[in-house]
Amino acid sequence: MMVVARARAAALAVIGCALAGCAASPPVLPALVPQGLPPQVELDGTPFFAQQRYQCGPAALATVLAASGVEITADELVSEVYLPGRRGSLQPELVAATRSRGRVPYVLPPETGALLAAVAGGEPVLVLQQLGAGPWPGWHYAVLVGYDAARDRVVLRSGLEPRKETTAADFLASWDRGGRWALVALQPGTIPPQADLERYLEAAAGLEAAGRPQDAAPAYAAAARHWPDAALPRLALANLAYASGDLVTAERGYRDAIRLDPGSVAARNNRAEALNRMGCPAAARREIEAARDLAVGGPLAREVEATAREIPPAPVADRDGCPAH
Amino acid sequence: MGSRFIVWLVCMAVLNLGSPMVAQAGIVGTLQAVQASTRAADLATVDAALARDEVRAQFVALGVAPEQVEARVAALTDAELRTLAGQMAELPAGGDALAVIGIVFLVLLILEAVGVIDIFKKFP
Repeated sequence: MMVVARARAAALAVIGCALAGCAASPPVLPALVPQGLPPQVELDGTPFFAQQRYQCGPAALATVLAASGVEITADELVSEVYLPGRRGSLQPELVAATRSRGRVPYVLPPETGALLAAVAGGEPVLVLQQLGAGPWPGWHYAVLVGYDAARDRVVLRSGLEPRKETTAADFLASWDRGGRWALVALQPGTIPPQADLERYLEAAAGLEAAGRPQDAAPAYAAAARHWPDAALPRLALANLAYASGDLVTAERGYRDAIRLDPGSVAARNNRAEALNRMGCPAAARREIEAARDLAVGGPLAREVEATAREIPPAPVADRDGCPAH
Repeated sequence: MGSRFIVWLVCMAVLNLGSPMVAQAGIVGTLQAVQASTRAADLATVDAALARDEVRAQFVALGVAPEQVEARVAALTDAELRTLAGQMAELPAGGDALAVIGIVFLVLLILEAVGVIDIFKKFP
């Protein structure tokens, strides 16, 4: 009898902990909220889309897209991101569908501070959680819309719950198990707080690669303003000019990028290409030689060689008006 | 003279085999430039066209409607295609928290049935 009672108590304790999270643990959120952020934030205006069976991906994505001003429903996204054979949605497809709606799919750095800063900056955050374990991993997408340091809680749009409050420790543990993946859907031109230049530009460049240069352009321009000393945004804008056939603007942009980062193989390669097409093979040769020296063994070596092959050899001289160096 | 030509031909064929992807002349795209500055060089050695075929086949196998397959493949960047290729059965697929809740309920029900716990109200 004693044994049964003890087993009962133990089982209840285990289940109680699993269901509610152990309430006795010390608060985690106060120490995690970065300096300068408000202690309590809730983005009340974030819409909610109740998920259909297995379709938290479309529901969560519709939530962040609608919050960024896209007119959308979860149903419309099912055919774009739901994978019947997996009964769920994969992260790269959520990123791709965000681009298809003209938003910059910025994947946050895997830090709690970045998550909270995004929410404080007004951006609801799509997160991947792992709610199960072992053979039932319980992968789940939800949208973080608020936190409260004093009460040590976070607020989510999740599944069928328009306002799900959970302890910060439980939420962060599930996010940690899910690989600390978090996505915001930004209007092109908005730079998130504490943004990382490469992450942001990769997200913006995806728009261009997906055939939406008109959406990439304001994102590149915002990046050039936000990071005035960085070469990559200049390169990005120059590439857009090149693609539109404006070689003069492109060449000037590449020159800016090289001035900011003399080691940029991409900027030197692209300037050489632009110069060659402008009728300046001698200047192009000088630039591609510099690129060649920098590219050895690197990821762009093949592209540089391909550009070099296109440039006419030494006797061919520049026409008038070509840059002297 | 003839044999020399054949040697030359064979040499060219072998060289060409060694570098199946001859880069197109032109500018380095922004996405490629960012990824070149953040990732290791080996990415460039995975053929994007192969990855695309693989992802297309996986979409079909995983039940995506045929008329949607091309649009979904086209929406992905080369790097995303490489991430997905061969991994679509393993990558986390965010789906349903309800399934987990169902499992917890099932466990509770079993514990109740074997008499370890007694949390469900009995019908009168």
